Amino acid sequence: MFRNNKVAWLFVLPALTFLLVFKIWPIGVSVIESLTMTSFTGTKSFVGFENYEYLFKHDPVFWKSFSVTLFYSIIVNPLIVLTSLLMALLLNSSHFFTKFFRTVFFLPAAISFAVVSVIWMIVLDPYNGLANSFLTMFGFKPQPFFASPDQALWGLILLNVWRSSGYWMMYFIAGLQNIPETLYEAAEIDGASTLKKTFKITLPLLTRTISFVLVANTAFNFLSFAPVYIITKGGPMGSTNLLMYESYKSAFVNLDMGRASAITTILLGIILVFSFFELRFTRARFEY
Amino acid sequence: MKKRSLWKTLILFAVLGIISLFFLIPLIWVVASALRPASPLYEYANPLTWKSFIPAEPTLENFVHIFVNLNFGRALMNSLFVSVSTIFLTVLVASMAGFALAKFEFRGKAALFTIVLITFMVPFESIVIPLYILIKQLRIDNTYWALILPGVANGLAIFLFRQFFSEVPSEIMEAARIDGASWFRIYWRIVLPLSVPAIVTVIVMVFMFQWNSLFWPLVATHSSRFEVVQVAIAAHRSTENTSWANLFSSAIAGSLPPVILFLFLQKYFVRGISGTGLKG
Repeated sequence: MFRNNKVAWLFVLPALTFLLVFKIWPIGVSVIESLTMTSFTGTKSFVGFENYEYLFKHDPVFWKSFSVTLFYSIIVNPLIVLTSLLMALLLNSSHFFTKFFRTVFFLPAAISFAVVSVIWMIVLDPYNGLANSFLTMFGFKPQPFFASPDQALWGLILLNVWRSSGYWMMYFIAGLQNIPETLYEAAEIDGASTLKKTFKITLPLLTRTISFVLVANTAFNFLSFAPVYIITKGGPMGSTNLLMYESYKSAFVNLDMGRASAITTILLGIILVFSFFELRFTRARFEY
Repeated sequence: MKKRSLWKTLILFAVLGIISLFFLIPLIWVVASALRPASPLYEYANPLTWKSFIPAEPTLENFVHIFVNLNFGRALMNSLFVSVSTIFLTVLVASMAGFALAKFEFRGKAALFTIVLITFMVPFESIVIPLYILIKQLRIDNTYWALILPGVANGLAIFLFRQFFSEVPSEIMEAARIDGASWFRIYWRIVLPLSVPAIVTVIVMVFMFQWNSLFWPLVATHSSRFEVVQVAIAAHRSTENTSWANLFSSAIAGSLPPVILFLFLQKYFVRGISGTGLKG
């Protein structure tokens, strides 16, 4: 370690400026903006917690959006952790084909959410979609998917599993490679089955990765925007109106920055609460 | 015993094969559809035949159309320019900060490190609205600056560089100091050339972020001059009369750069992942 205040500060100053201006300042503005209201004439006034109060007490659109977002998150996060973990476990052995499948599984993560949305919009098209072709081929009834309020959100969940599983799988593969081989060898001498090895060695030692993926994925999914914007526009009947999209509409369609900022601040709050409980839960369950 | 493990391998292969169908079929279908003439795009979806996945008479006319008539090349160039500029600035700014954080003891270091950590905990999407207000106040909305500058404030990149530089032995720098080299020269001539793996990791990370971003460009710019790839793709959808041919072909053309980058630099994607301080 070198000691030189002046030199060190010169090196960090550009980065610090960027962080302060484009990250820290906006976080502050977001909170402040959520406490103001803009009138029709464009003047801003401080209104305290009125925006929040209104959202929670008199805003059915917000409540609907809030519950849709919670439901979406509660389903999609554990699901992605499960699928990505399973895929990582399947690819943990080294065969000549392991690398190929790893690339295939990750491939969707290299594609943007906008393009992934385009792909799934047409795959799940009610009239000409690929999914319905498969369904009718196997003798099932064609489904409305994004056109139905009961199915649209599940379409978004499916889209997300398709796009994100391979990405988080890579984290699990990295985690699996850190588990010492000797543990498995010892277990084999004791005659442990593959299933037993997975539950008694792999999963407990993967706890930190699991909780990291769960937390990071939660934050990420609470902020889902592109699929809603491109495919459903929040519909049908508000069934896919995730909070991030509602906040966007509020800010840039209805020009109500106060409401929009209040929604994103609430969203950040929810993410923090969720992350906290997820960390607590995964620690409590797996620590040994 | 040997026989059983062969069976196991075969079953594993089959299971992986089935899973990969789930990932590949939509991709193959979209690519095949984009390679068909514009009008009968949907004809082959129902009923399914081999023609649904392999175009009988492949043509590039959809791609020619989006480049010649719809100026999709402009969007590609915009995205390329924004990505490269962001990469250049981020690598410079973040590596300097990472160097100081890894090798110096200075007043305010702990506070600075906290700021770095906070900024990579708070997701970009959640500050889009205040950022928009900010760039309006700075009068840089609807410019390239609006697309580039917020992307440079990257706490994760600083963190990655710091982790990497911590491993570089201080002795080399001490020796250079004794020889009379300035600190900037040491950073520029010794530290930076040694950090190629970290630089490539950050390049990949920033490129994927900028190339694939939709939300921020949508908010920060509105003239077609500054239209980036994802916005251009999404624009084909927003009209009532969606042109599937344009949508498919722009989606594919816009995805080729990141996919190619991924195929060639796969290990750096994984390194960026495992370099985030995540072990076991």
